[in-house]
Amino acid sequence: MTTPILETQALTMRFGGLVAVNNFSMQMGDTDLVGVIGPNGAGKTTIFNMITGIYEPTEGDVRLSGKSLVGEQVALITQKGIARTFQNIRLFKDLTVLDNIRLAGHSRMKYGLIANILRTKKFHEEESRLKEEAIKLLKIFKLENKMDHLAKNLPYGEQRKLEIARALATKPKVLLLDEPAAGMNPNETADLTKLIKWVRDEFQIAILLIEHDMRLVMEVCERIYVVDHGELIAHGNPSEIQNNPKVIEAYLGAQSEEGEQ
Amino acid sequence: MDYLAHLTLNTGIFIILAVSLNLINGICGQFSLGHAGFWAVGAYTGAAYGVFLAPEALPDFINLFISCGIGFVVAALSGLLIGVPCLRLRGDYLAIATLGFGEIIRILIMNMDVVGGPRGFTNIPNWSNLFWVYFWVVITIVFCANLLRGTHGRAIISIREDEIAADSMGIYTFKYKTLAFVIGAGFAGLAGSLFAHAQQFLHPNGFTFMWSVIILLMIILGGLGSITGAIVGAVILTILPEMLRFMGETVSQWRMVIYSILLICLMLWRPSGIFGKHEFNILKFFKKDEEATS
Repeated sequence: MTTPILETQALTMRFGGLVAVNNFSMQMGDTDLVGVIGPNGAGKTTIFNMITGIYEPTEGDVRLSGKSLVGEQVALITQKGIARTFQNIRLFKDLTVLDNIRLAGHSRMKYGLIANILRTKKFHEEESRLKEEAIKLLKIFKLENKMDHLAKNLPYGEQRKLEIARALATKPKVLLLDEPAAGMNPNETADLTKLIKWVRDEFQIAILLIEHDMRLVMEVCERIYVVDHGELIAHGNPSEIQNNPKVIEAYLGAQSEEGEQ
Repeated sequence: MDYLAHLTLNTGIFIILAVSLNLINGICGQFSLGHAGFWAVGAYTGAAYGVFLAPEALPDFINLFISCGIGFVVAALSGLLIGVPCLRLRGDYLAIATLGFGEIIRILIMNMDVVGGPRGFTNIPNWSNLFWVYFWVVITIVFCANLLRGTHGRAIISIREDEIAADSMGIYTFKYKTLAFVIGAGFAGLAGSLFAHAQQFLHPNGFTFMWSVIILLMIILGGLGSITGAIVGAVILTILPEMLRFMGETVSQWRMVIYSILLICLMLWRPSGIFGKHEFNILKFFKKDEEATS
């Protein structure tokens, strides 16, 4: 078997006495579309934060193409190929749409500080290449006519789109989406469903997403991991998950409890 | 030097101070209250060069150039020394740490007999003049403006906007915070050196915490994050107290009160400062005309 692009091994996170995530293991291949679901507070975002290096896991390992990422800086993990979006959109609000995308290309810029100040030939070459790349990406997301708008002035749905575009501008191998459909109406969610699939096919990357909208998850994901109280309780394809008694219990409560009520 | 020329020269020095603090506070979003400290470091090292080391044979402007260079480098190094531990702190904590640094510098100088200690540092050669002060003003402004139009400047802005998001974009935020801090400190040191060679006399009490606050006021007045705002803020806050001095006896007596009331009014009507985060850009006017005609 080939090495999975992203793999977590027995990932555990404790905050003092609280076990937020316990023994979470998963694998995904080069172009997999995988979902992580679970009730509120189940530890999904904590898993994302451990993968992207914001938290250092108490135990366990995160591997990208077989190489461990634990203990690396957040910025370096992004440069190695893991990009993410956030549950509550974190755009650079007072910067333009174009600058948001350009910032994602920052680590690929090779000119130094002096070249920046003196605006040398190298500076102009690299800047114009960066701008071209950014505009190309914005065209794909149909945001190019808004590239001079401030990010905060975009409608909500477009802010979500811009955040995905910005994550893609770091040229990732794995894209992590944290509740991309949060706050969207059914129409926008339907568009997003198409968009996610299309991004995977177009960019040929692996996508891991956290989502509460079950219709989106079931439609988009090929495999789903279910966590509850920090524990992995089920794993499988959408139809397996839908019929898994443990999952139904986690979401709707156990049969006996219902009887008591 | 006559009064007006002196005032103009001081305005130039405060423009450099305000623009450099704006890089740290306004553009990078790190709340520093130690700018007077870096100013003092630059002033005293620049002056020390002038008094102890400067070869007489060199023309004054070359000596001033070297003195400014030394002021810049030493202040930048002290910025690095303070920045690396302090920039791990955020918001109020960073403000308190940098405030402490400013006071430590002042007390240190107070106890250094080589530079006069509490008696003040005298006999500093008079090298500064309007031309060289405004030469450095232009350099500072062009430096900052060009920085912001490149990837390094954008990285610094992104820290103000959202540090976690900047990290997740592959930007080494700590590195860029330190960079902004070091450059800001360096230019404050340069302003210090120019100041020393204009005043010809330095006293540690001329670099109290109050000055850090006044420079901060300048950039808040002009609009945090705007270079144009920092310049306008520096001009207003250097000239306004002097103007009030000549507006009759009553005004002159109450000038500090009037000054404070004006600031309060501005904060009530325009809490984001005169310019907000915007820059005054002549090119924009031309562009608008083009759009209107097309």
